[in-house]
Amino acid sequence: MRKSSAWIIFGLTLSVFAIAFIFPLSLVIKNGFVGPDGKITFRYIFGVFQNPIYLEGLLNSLRLALGTTFLATLIALPLAWMSNRFLFPGKKWVNALLLVPMILPPFVGAIGFQQILGQYGVINSLFGLEVDWLGRGRWMGVILLQSLALYPILFLNLSAALANIDHAMEEAAENLGATGWVKFRRITLPLITPGFFAGGTIVFIWSFTELGTPLIMNYTRCASVQVYDALKEIGSNPFPFALVMVMLTVSVGLYCISKFFFGGQAYAMQGKAATTFTEHKVSGVKGLLVLLPFLIVISFALLPHLGVILTSFSAPGGWYRSVLPQEWTMNNYSEALGHSMTVSSIRNSLVFSLLAVVFNLFFGIAIAFVVVRSTIKFRGVLDGLAMMPLAVPGLVMASGYLAASSYFSNLDVVRNSDWLPHLVDVKTNPALFLVLAYSIRRLPYMVRSAVAGLQQTSAGLEEAAANLGAKPLVSLKRITLPLITANLIAGALLAFAFSMLEVSDSLMLAQRQDFYPITKTIYELFQLIGTGKYIAAALGVWAMLFLAVTLVGSSLLLGKKLGALFRV
Amino acid sequence: MAVSVVINNLVKTFGETRAVDHISLTIDPGELFFLLGPSGCGKTTLLRCIAGFHQPESGSIHMGEQEVTRLQPHQRDTGMVFQSYALWPHMTVTQNVAFGLEMRKVGKAETAKRVAEALALVRMSDRADYKPNQLSGGQQQRVALARALVIHPKCLLLDEPLSNLDAKLRLEMRTEIRRICKESGLTAIYVTHDQKEALSVADRLAVLNGGIVEQCGTPEDVYLRPQSVFAAGFIGETNFLDGTVKKILGDRLLVSTQEGDWESKHGLGSYEVGDEVSVSLRPETLHIGDASAGQPNVVEGIVHDTVYLGEVAQHQVRLGGDNGKNVKVFDLNPRIIARNAPQKATIWVDAQDVVVLPRGKA
Repeated sequence: MRKSSAWIIFGLTLSVFAIAFIFPLSLVIKNGFVGPDGKITFRYIFGVFQNPIYLEGLLNSLRLALGTTFLATLIALPLAWMSNRFLFPGKKWVNALLLVPMILPPFVGAIGFQQILGQYGVINSLFGLEVDWLGRGRWMGVILLQSLALYPILFLNLSAALANIDHAMEEAAENLGATGWVKFRRITLPLITPGFFAGGTIVFIWSFTELGTPLIMNYTRCASVQVYDALKEIGSNPFPFALVMVMLTVSVGLYCISKFFFGGQAYAMQGKAATTFTEHKVSGVKGLLVLLPFLIVISFALLPHLGVILTSFSAPGGWYRSVLPQEWTMNNYSEALGHSMTVSSIRNSLVFSLLAVVFNLFFGIAIAFVVVRSTIKFRGVLDGLAMMPLAVPGLVMASGYLAASSYFSNLDVVRNSDWLPHLVDVKTNPALFLVLAYSIRRLPYMVRSAVAGLQQTSAGLEEAAANLGAKPLVSLKRITLPLITANLIAGALLAFAFSMLEVSDSLMLAQRQDFYPITKTIYELFQLIGTGKYIAAALGVWAMLFLAVTLVGSSLLLGKKLGALFRV
Repeated sequence: MAVSVVINNLVKTFGETRAVDHISLTIDPGELFFLLGPSGCGKTTLLRCIAGFHQPESGSIHMGEQEVTRLQPHQRDTGMVFQSYALWPHMTVTQNVAFGLEMRKVGKAETAKRVAEALALVRMSDRADYKPNQLSGGQQQRVALARALVIHPKCLLLDEPLSNLDAKLRLEMRTEIRRICKESGLTAIYVTHDQKEALSVADRLAVLNGGIVEQCGTPEDVYLRPQSVFAAGFIGETNFLDGTVKKILGDRLLVSTQEGDWESKHGLGSYEVGDEVSVSLRPETLHIGDASAGQPNVVEGIVHDTVYLGEVAQHQVRLGGDNGKNVKVFDLNPRIIARNAPQKATIWVDAQDVVVLPRGKA
């Protein structure tokens, strides 16, 4: 590609990032560091660590993140290893079913989870108990729920890492006398460590700052919920920003560690693998023994989904102290679609997400082109920049956008204008910021997809078109884009699906009911006494179906490469 | 320290394919033995059976006195060099090389000494603290060798070790591997599909095809006295002419082909008059130009194409008229180049260079 076009894209991306990413973040940092007198102070940051409530919140969030990452690893690692080594009956099915938890944001699953493990839920009814499973140690419920929802990210990464190992590496170890556990610990494990960190970092950052699940589980003593509650009184209180600062530092720090120590990539294997690994075929009793752990994990992971589905078919109040709902109904679905809040929220989510997809497609393709096809000096910077949103939790971005919104709406030119507040004031209309939030946060997936596609498409094909007289844009349209369509659609589907079900930005930025997206509506419905929970569940099932279709679609398009999207 | 490796009637099947089909071989202590053949001939499978990565269905493998057929790979004490080198990217050169000693619970001082020795042997002492991905292909190759040698294995196994290197490095490394094997005095089994590699490095070699040993012997044995059409065709270039045994003349066979009659000093006693055979004529044994008086095997032909390569001219010569075959003739240090082909020419060959083989597929 021509240098001038590469620089234009570079400049354009840089300015968009400056406005929509760096500026809001800088406001978070400023609000955390600058006192009312305009001078830099460390009072707020120290305040966070001195305030026992904030400190407890941070430590609890850390506990949630560590616990979730640990438990998710405990689930994903053995399964990925067995799936890599054995060929057993039903393998294809369980490998697909393992990914099903991804079709539901964990916070919707929490609704179903409570129905099953709650004090008056299924388990207690089944065994005639009165144990409050989620009560005192509610954080364990959050960890369990998040692990069950996030382990697929680790599973995909670990599977890809295991599949990448040149089998001769392990054979060489055997040849020199290492077997079993020693071979696994000394050779296999170190080789998949980069893959583990790539996925583990995403899981850690996600669970460290997850807002929806603790909210629904009513676990308020963690940093994300504290930020959410405190930011309702925006502007007056600098401490939530200081808290966000701390969370940002932890996330970015971990991201950088993972990126710089492991390069975000698996070790490049030397040469061509001489011996491809053939899965060990197991059948009969042995096959069932291998299959069993998969089935156990899947049935646990699908419990929240089952709970949501059953709740959605239960008459309000009809599922209480019983194993199954006592009274079945379809009313929740018709109410969900008739409720004043839901119709507009579906429309809002669709509009916001589609706009985000358009944004992502344009910038995703443009950035990927510069990164893969140009030779300009700072293309690596562009790549790094496009990946940065992975390191910044949605909660942090949302805080930044809130700060940016209040900054802009206090400008005189905005205050004196009729229409500008509709653009930049979230209290009037959050559309712009929601679209930006959705776009920026999903851009990494889109860039990854497009880069992967371009790398597989030889530049020679474009050169051949140029040689025959095609202008750059013509060869882009006629040659390159058709060749990477599968990647683009997959990336766009993921961006769309995750935008539709985005939680933290949606909860924090949408403040007027007529601009609620679906997730905020589910949360608000859930809080309504009486029918709310059941309608929320019905809306959740709708969302579940929707994500299922898009994820199946993109995994069909991407095949085994789906895992490559969920890594730092 | 060096032991013999005896393979007896080994069979290994994958699904329907018999990759190793009743192979028996004896490899002497300290010998550098090559398994040579086209891809899919079973050579790598045989090597992996010896290493223990494949379990044969029947037959046995002995190393010295010990039968190893049913032993696990780590119990066999072989040092293997993999085609992809399989250097562990998360360990330094030293850590890679020391790994086998660590598994054998060799003490620290001893380990350090032996690692240094092994790295010196492969001339990589100055790269001890590098990571594999900081090394060139040839250097990785040397480290892989050191890693296999340092444990003082009973037997060194090399699986196409040079196939990932460029042509120049390959030439350099093959003499290097021979030097290292001979200096360490190990029994080594080397798998390759490159006949030049085998001819130039091997003490002895076995030509494999379709899971069986076509021929086993020293390089010159196999090159000069091939025992099958496959062996003759796989190693070096040759011309095959189909014919029948016409007469037995004292110490020679007379074979008649469409392209002419050929006297041969090979295969006496193996054939009777009337047997269908193939005659193998290596291009470099065929001479173009006037033959001395009394020379047998003189035929007339027509040169209709010549490729001049400086040290050699390669002629395509049609023998036996319009129904005959083309043969390739290499004229070393050529003086006369026929630019205006086609041209008549006289071809002749010594009777000891005419090899008679049972009719078969090349």
